[in-house]
Amino acid sequence: MADVILEGRDLKKYYPVTKGLLKRIIGWVRAVDGISFTIERGKTLSLVGESGAGKTTTAKAVLLLEKLTSGTILFEGKDVYRFSKSQLKTEYRPRVQSVQQNPWSSMNPRMRVRDIIAEPLVVNTKRTKGQIRSRVLELLDQVGLSPNQADYYPHEFSGGQRQRIAVARALALNPSLVVLDEPVSALDVSIRAQIMNLLKDLQDQYNLSYLVIAHNLATVRFMSHSVAIMYLGEIVEYGEAEELFERPLHPYTRALISASMLTLPEDEDKGVEPIILSGEMPSPLNPPPGCRFHTRCPDVQDICSKEVPEVRVIGQQRIKCHVYAEQ
Amino acid sequence: MLSIMPNIEDKTRPKISGLSRRAHIMRSLTCIVPLTILSLLVLTAIFAPWLAPHDPIKVSMTERRLPPVFMEGGSTKYILGTDHLGRDVLSRAIYGARISLSVSLLVIAITASVGTILGIAAGYIGGRTEAFLMRFTDISMSFPPLVLAMLLSVILGPGYITVVLALSVLGWAPYARLIRGEALRIRNSDFVSQARVSGASPMRIMIKHIFPNVINPLIIVMTMAVGFMILAEAGLSFLGIGIPPPDPSWGSMVADGRGDIDRAWWITTFPGILIGMVVMSGNFFGDWLRDKMDPRLRQL
Amino acid sequence: MSDILLQVENLCTSFFTRAGEFKAIDGVSFYVREGETFGLVGESACGKTVTGLSILRLLPEPAGRIIGGKIILDGTNLIELSKKEMRAYRGKMISMILQDPMTSLNPVYTVGNQIGESVRLHQGLRDDMVEDEVISALRLLRIPAPEIRIRDYPFQMSGGMRQRVVGSIAMSCRPRLLIADEPTTALDATIQAQYIALFKDIQKQTDVAIIFITHDFGVIAQMCHRVAVMYAGKIVETAATSTIFKAPKHPYTAALINSVPHLDRKDDRLYSIEGQPPSLLNLPPGCRFAPRCHDVQEVCHQQQPPTVEISDGHSVSCWGVK
Repeated sequence: MADVILEGRDLKKYYPVTKGLLKRIIGWVRAVDGISFTIERGKTLSLVGESGAGKTTTAKAVLLLEKLTSGTILFEGKDVYRFSKSQLKTEYRPRVQSVQQNPWSSMNPRMRVRDIIAEPLVVNTKRTKGQIRSRVLELLDQVGLSPNQADYYPHEFSGGQRQRIAVARALALNPSLVVLDEPVSALDVSIRAQIMNLLKDLQDQYNLSYLVIAHNLATVRFMSHSVAIMYLGEIVEYGEAEELFERPLHPYTRALISASMLTLPEDEDKGVEPIILSGEMPSPLNPPPGCRFHTRCPDVQDICSKEVPEVRVIGQQRIKCHVYAEQ
Repeated sequence: MLSIMPNIEDKTRPKISGLSRRAHIMRSLTCIVPLTILSLLVLTAIFAPWLAPHDPIKVSMTERRLPPVFMEGGSTKYILGTDHLGRDVLSRAIYGARISLSVSLLVIAITASVGTILGIAAGYIGGRTEAFLMRFTDISMSFPPLVLAMLLSVILGPGYITVVLALSVLGWAPYARLIRGEALRIRNSDFVSQARVSGASPMRIMIKHIFPNVINPLIIVMTMAVGFMILAEAGLSFLGIGIPPPDPSWGSMVADGRGDIDRAWWITTFPGILIGMVVMSGNFFGDWLRDKMDPRLRQL
Repeated sequence: MSDILLQVENLCTSFFTRAGEFKAIDGVSFYVREGETFGLVGESACGKTVTGLSILRLLPEPAGRIIGGKIILDGTNLIELSKKEMRAYRGKMISMILQDPMTSLNPVYTVGNQIGESVRLHQGLRDDMVEDEVISALRLLRIPAPEIRIRDYPFQMSGGMRQRVVGSIAMSCRPRLLIADEPTTALDATIQAQYIALFKDIQKQTDVAIIFITHDFGVIAQMCHRVAVMYAGKIVETAATSTIFKAPKHPYTAALINSVPHLDRKDDRLYSIEGQPPSLLNLPPGCRFAPRCHDVQEVCHQQQPPTVEISDGHSVSCWGVK
């Protein structure tokens, strides 16, 4: 069996919707509704989906910023929710770090870069000031910044440089898993490539595992070893990245890929019609019955609105769709 | 390679403003002038016994309501004239600086500290702590301050401590409310959740991440409060529950001279000017300080 | 050519700040034909948004000022118009969809009211006629049941619907030129695909010319007939969309296109342009891309390259291109 670093089993996160003074619960927002995934050591899993799909909630659950309604998170085979406070502080927190989407808001504007990168070290280790200082400089060098930039404030850097600082902070404690929440979507095109190459190099160098949250499929293909496509709190298709991009099965995956393709006007004249979905993602407060995608699906059948599709394994992929029922 | 290029297409950065060279000079003046005025006043307060030409409480019934030196009938003995009891206005103003400034600074220090601590705690911890603290704040704000001040002066007797207490006991509530709102906003910001991922304790987050980011609004309110506190002290003195006579404060000087405003305008006007100067200096200096303390605005 | 609707010549716009003069755009020239979609693509702070705002004369005053050039719309130089005349042009002749359409609706007025405001302002219609205009504007953007929707408040609509309402406001007076500044950036992929299809449809119906400002080459490929690539306040290359993608001549254009990861194959490593754009306060004397360019020559650092038309409709500013 592969070396699994983190496994999520049947994760659910429901937010109560309350009404009135007495906070009577009138319904539940099913932000994440029964998803399972595994992340292997040194590999990247990407959660892909549109806003409201539940991917950020999943990432927050892994970072223990949100408490799940139900489900188990296993870190190296151990149940994270059964860790004691001190175990969390020594065995989990320092080893699971994150890089956030917006480099403009992810840093305290009143702290110098030196202190921003040093914070995880100050909080979690008993290193001396000198040791921390030299570690910070080492980290700056690793992410391609120069040591004399350590005393500047975050606002004095461009977006790409700030994202490098965020990466340095995430690496400070030598983590095993880094959660990357849309790590490049706030950056300019030419800077994105720099950061993505950097993340890949660091992965190879330190055998890091990544959980990437993304909506841009091209980014995902470059970064990932496996991919989970999410829609309305569920994983609709899950598999090895190359396989999934070469042979997308779920109609939603195919629509997503089509929408992200570079289609030149003359390609269209040659008959490469983009798949355009109608409507918008329904509210997770009242997900449609049956298959949740049936309201927008181009291949919708009668059964789709009545029965919830089961997860089927086709080749390498796990897929949740009635179209593949007979196979 | 540092780029200080203003990213015009980036909403998250502060808007650049078109400031000319003249505006630039004006801005540094908003620091120098108020700071000079405030420091001079503080120095005056400290060295009052050496600076004042006369005893501020010495009554001289033969020299009542003498005009200032530049008016007909004025003399160099009393540069700013005398009041209705023949006391030297200049000396009283100099000694008054002691009481007025120290009362207002002390009250601001107490109320701002208490309010900030409670506000940050309420905003960051949330839940029942917040509910309790905020109801407590609401009750404090709905209590009539004058009634409380009278009550205190009955219990403790009028005096310096009473004035400071009366103004402090209720004065922290607006700070708590303001800071709680700010803390609530910052609690949900990305950098705070990043700190939590790093394993920072709630105490560290409150001190290192939330407090430095609430300083701006805090300073604005504190500088505004300087003037307000001087006026509040004057109000209490006027009602006889403030600093008891004959000790001078600017507020009580204005109140005392109120009846003579048509005959001897100088009794009220000079302390009035001083109050105005302190209030304005406080506001300008606070403005400048806020810009200075925000690293994002520092180089613009 | 007679079908040219907008001609921008040597446009220069600067921002005057305490730190000095930022040359946000410096000598930008391009034209837009009737009924075509023209893309302005570039990274943040390259001047693409400022170009759009300059054409509308909506620069944040007094810091931003047009300091030179011509903007000729259908024979009229917009720079010479008075503020009042310009107001009449805005909305009626040119209109704009802003970067964040979600916040450009006022939450306290109904949708009908907000669209009607612009109709009333420019066409001086009676109230009953205004309503007809509003409904037809909503219908143009394919909003179902416009007669009912007209009384809705923005919060009652979904994100995609609000986006369409913003489009209706921009199109309500049937402008001949529409400037769209990153209207799709905040949208999810499938919604973006819908929106792009909608724009194309509107263009077919009304023959409006669109200037599409974006940083996303994917959107450019799907939307635009011709494209101008901007870098540090200058246009470095202008060509038909397929030429830009298949035979880019400027090293910056080529590098940008190469650095976009592929969806149809696995990249082992992404092509990346090292460094970052120069500060607009302190621009290099020669070509602005020279410090990051792979094919840099001696002359690049000393003199700005001229803009050369290398084939019909394809012009490049680069010393390496003859």
